[in-house]
Amino acid sequence: MGAETPSRSRVVSGFRRPTGLPSVGRVIELRELTKRYGDRVAVDGLSVRVRPGVVTGFLGPNGSGKSTTIRMILGLDAPDRGEALVGGVRYPDLDWPLKTVGALFDAGAFHPGRSGRAHLAALAASNDIPGSRVDEVLRIVGLSDAAGRRAGTYSLGMRQRLGVAVALLGDPAVLVLDEPANGLDPEGIRWVRDLLRGLAAEGRTVFVSSHLIAEMALTADRLVIIGRGRLLAETTVDELAAGGDSLEEAFFRLTSQATDYRAVGAS
Amino acid sequence: MTGYGLRHAARMERIKLRSVRSTWWLAIAAVVSMAATGAGVGLGYRSHTPVATAAQILNNSLGGAIVAQLLLGALGVLMVTGEYGTGMIRSTFAAVPRRRIVLAAKVAVCGGAALTVGLVASFAGYLSGQVAIRGTAIPAASIGEPAILRAVVLTGVYLGATALIGVGIGTIVRHSGAAIGTLFGLLFVPMIVAGLFGASGIAVGRFVPLLMLLNSIAVTSPVPGLFAGWISVLLMCGYAGVAVLCGGVILRCRDA
Repeated sequence: MGAETPSRSRVVSGFRRPTGLPSVGRVIELRELTKRYGDRVAVDGLSVRVRPGVVTGFLGPNGSGKSTTIRMILGLDAPDRGEALVGGVRYPDLDWPLKTVGALFDAGAFHPGRSGRAHLAALAASNDIPGSRVDEVLRIVGLSDAAGRRAGTYSLGMRQRLGVAVALLGDPAVLVLDEPANGLDPEGIRWVRDLLRGLAAEGRTVFVSSHLIAEMALTADRLVIIGRGRLLAETTVDELAAGGDSLEEAFFRLTSQATDYRAVGAS
Repeated sequence: MTGYGLRHAARMERIKLRSVRSTWWLAIAAVVSMAATGAGVGLGYRSHTPVATAAQILNNSLGGAIVAQLLLGALGVLMVTGEYGTGMIRSTFAAVPRRRIVLAAKVAVCGGAALTVGLVASFAGYLSGQVAIRGTAIPAASIGEPAILRAVVLTGVYLGATALIGVGIGTIVRHSGAAIGTLFGLLFVPMIVAGLFGASGIAVGRFVPLLMLLNSIAVTSPVPGLFAGWISVLLMCGYAGVAVLCGGVILRCRDA
């Protein structure tokens, strides 16, 4: 934490410290957020504040409601109750969504027949982002050489990099990323980790979901842990580890009552 | 000025439409199918007795619109369902969360593109028919004649409207296969049903897309009992409007 020097973080995100919004405008606030699918409650009265300047990990077992929560933050799903606000504003009410919030979706949110560059150019046009920024983010994520190829031919790692490029497109002060390390090799995982920490060091809000506690321990400063759609803990990596046993054990202890399934013999 | 608007969303949709191959294949296929039909009709009538009339040649050479409407309808469908099928729709709605602006932009961009392609295809059908009868006793049909020009232009507009019906159905159904099936069904089934009514079927048939195309729009003078060509085309635009409006209502209340 705090190991990033300003010049280093500049290299990481390729961009200046965001100044457009006061820091209160970078807070993600979930108030009693609730979502049902039929009888099943996916997210249950979740209230959380995500602060700028640190990486906040969003942890929970598979099916605990992480993706649903992120979809509600981004206005893709409508909550049944409560609200999700970014800087006090509901996502659908943002003037320039991509310049305010950068989002990475779990798996390919792109058309496989379209080139990476055209994908970025289309999204840039929607928020009046100059075309030069497309080449800039392609350079940042290391896809410049593959930008003209159809995205369907990309490897999993390249797809994740394309997703990160979309998230960075509008130089947003808030980033919401769903499982960014998924499918990445060790080098890619380190790259994402350095990128996220660099973005947070620049004063941005970084909210990143994962089901991998070990990876979050290295990436995140703060942790929001949920299970079965409910908030289990809002803590820091240090606090969670302070209990004496390993981080993994502490995570299992927290979520043991809230997993949907468990293999025989586990825990 | 604060925030994005239709102008920005339309720029996004234009880039999206141009940057997938299926758009170009469908557009080329629509033009080629009409040109080929026109040429085939012209060649077929060359040695026909009695000598064909100008109206016969024109009416039949625009018959390729039966295929072209399916291709351009599919273009409209894919503009929406292609996004749901791939997950692209999440990127689109994250960039432009006011979904009706996205739909309006798709209608504007798809409508403009399909109208252009439709007019080119329609003219290609007419022209290749005329080229194919050159040197025979069959009278040429000049595009300068109002009845000829009207048929060619209205056929192009009909094709543009079909693409917009595709956009509407795609928004409602969201799945490529199901949406294209629904569109084809809506274009063909009513014609078959109207046929069951026999002679009185024309009272219903004049509202049926394909019958309007073949008997009122893509012809020099409409078959008695059907509407004038421009009324039939307006009806098609009305159908497109209804499909898009239904899509817009559903889009708002459904999770992406």
